[in-house]
Amino acid sequence: MTAIETLGLTKRFGHRARPIHPPGHPSGGVVHALEDLTITVREGEIFGFLGPNGSGKSTTIRLLLGFLHPTAGGASVLGLDTSRDSVAIRARVGYLPGGIAFWDGLSGERLLDELAALSGRPPVRRAELLDRLELSAATLRRPVRDYSRGMRQKVGVIQALQHDPELAILDEPTEGLDPLMQNAFYAILDDLRRAGRTIFFSSHILSEVERVCDRVAIIRTGRLVALEDIPTLLARRKRNVEMQVDGTPPDLTGVAGVSDARIDGDRLTCRVEGDVAPFLAAIAGATIHDLTIEPARLEEAFLEFYAPDPIDDADDEDGDDDPTAGTVPA
Amino acid sequence: MNLALFAHTWRANRTRLLIVAVGLAIWGTFMPIIYDSFGSSLKDIFASGAFPPQFTQFGGGDIFSLSGSVAIGFIHPITVGLNLIFAVGFATAAIAGERQRGTLEVLLSRPISRRAVYATLALSGALFIGIAVLGSIVGTLIGASLTGRTAELGVGQLPLLWLNGSLLYWAIGSVALFASAASDRLSPALGASLAFVLVSYFLDVLGTLWPDAAWVEPYSVFHYLDPKAILAGLPDLSDLLVLGLVTVVAVAAALVVFPRRDLAAPS
Repeated sequence: MTAIETLGLTKRFGHRARPIHPPGHPSGGVVHALEDLTITVREGEIFGFLGPNGSGKSTTIRLLLGFLHPTAGGASVLGLDTSRDSVAIRARVGYLPGGIAFWDGLSGERLLDELAALSGRPPVRRAELLDRLELSAATLRRPVRDYSRGMRQKVGVIQALQHDPELAILDEPTEGLDPLMQNAFYAILDDLRRAGRTIFFSSHILSEVERVCDRVAIIRTGRLVALEDIPTLLARRKRNVEMQVDGTPPDLTGVAGVSDARIDGDRLTCRVEGDVAPFLAAIAGATIHDLTIEPARLEEAFLEFYAPDPIDDADDEDGDDDPTAGTVPA
Repeated sequence: MNLALFAHTWRANRTRLLIVAVGLAIWGTFMPIIYDSFGSSLKDIFASGAFPPQFTQFGGGDIFSLSGSVAIGFIHPITVGLNLIFAVGFATAAIAGERQRGTLEVLLSRPISRRAVYATLALSGALFIGIAVLGSIVGTLIGASLTGRTAELGVGQLPLLWLNGSLLYWAIGSVALFASAASDRLSPALGASLAFVLVSYFLDVLGTLWPDAAWVEPYSVFHYLDPKAILAGLPDLSDLLVLGLVTVVAVAAALVVFPRRDLAAPS
């Protein structure tokens, strides 16, 4: 069964240009925040939703939760339609917004109590989460306004997961957490997966997506550019190769999967994609002093997917980027 | 109506409500005392021609009676200002302010419909306003008791006076809550609501003090607050009807707009 399904989900903001507008002011336009997004998130998986600021991640999440209404297409969460059944969906979902804000005058404990009451479900996981994220009772008695950014983020994670939701939608959940707490958080996600919960996890931190997710969707300027499981994605990535040779370097011209070959003295660098056998055969006769093949990293996949595209550009309403950068004049 | 949200809203506002209600009660207490202490002196001052006679029309005329003094107290800028803390301050912060801070997102991620959120906030605001206006009524009663003029006051009319005062601020509050529900940031909602109140108040004062501009008075919501007539036992029920109509229209508009609008990420 699918936890989340979107079909041609599209969101545009703004208005068509008006024929008359003040001199020096833009004539209006449409921001293509999300275009024709079709993805499926299976129950019980950790699904990474990857993209830089302004790519459409938060717009997608807000469409799933019913904060925004789609311009076209549709989506379902836990089998329920996001347009018709958003209240029923939110009863079964835990949500951590990016850059979460709280009622700062409340103590941490009171805040979690009130949010649990508003959820209408008992906070069955709270004690465990407090323990694992190292939030003490003394800390919880202090007003939230006195919390550091990391402590606020911990409270954000707890409020999203304390009622043990079937699906957790987490928007950049490790923002502000120190490395130790990030590890604790990843362990929590692993446990949730083992318990059959589904996690929809948006991030622009590539290493954490690579580490915790089963599958990843990469979104760029509102459009899906890849939807893969992590091993497949990594297998497709180019490997960085660096070697030092004695004598004539091997000729890598025309070798399948090899690109960007460069020779600098006795040092040869190149990139290898896919099957490494042709590359190994090509260098078999060379006298190699040193050889480094860097493991494929998602960062490189990411950078490739995000290589500038002069033709197609868009933006969404969230993130830190210039919101007019992707405006398409109507 | 969501009880958990109501409880949260009540806890967040109860101290402020207590301060406002006590402030209004103290101010309400002053009016009968001022009348008792200085009423005849003021009448002499006005009779001497030191002030234009139109000034005696403020608050519905007959400012030299107890009911006239109480009426002035009800439309005095201090009373209006204190009541606006909830009618405009609470109403605009309740949705637009929470949205700007990002806390509305946390609230709406719970299984509560936007209509339920709006209804809970509207009813909470109505309760706060009702309690604040009650402060004025209680203060008036205390002041009348302290000066021994309770019989002169027309105590039986006080519930209707409470209803009229509450309806005025419910009408203003529902307009402000509509602005709040339709806005992404606090300042536009607050600005629009205050502009509505200030223009309305100006039209009422202008129409009261300048006979040639009396025709503008019906365009002000303050025109439909008439404590003098109520305390005199001559209430005009159409006043209540107009204020009720403004409230209903603003509530209906908010119930249409709020659930349908996009709530993009807070900027």
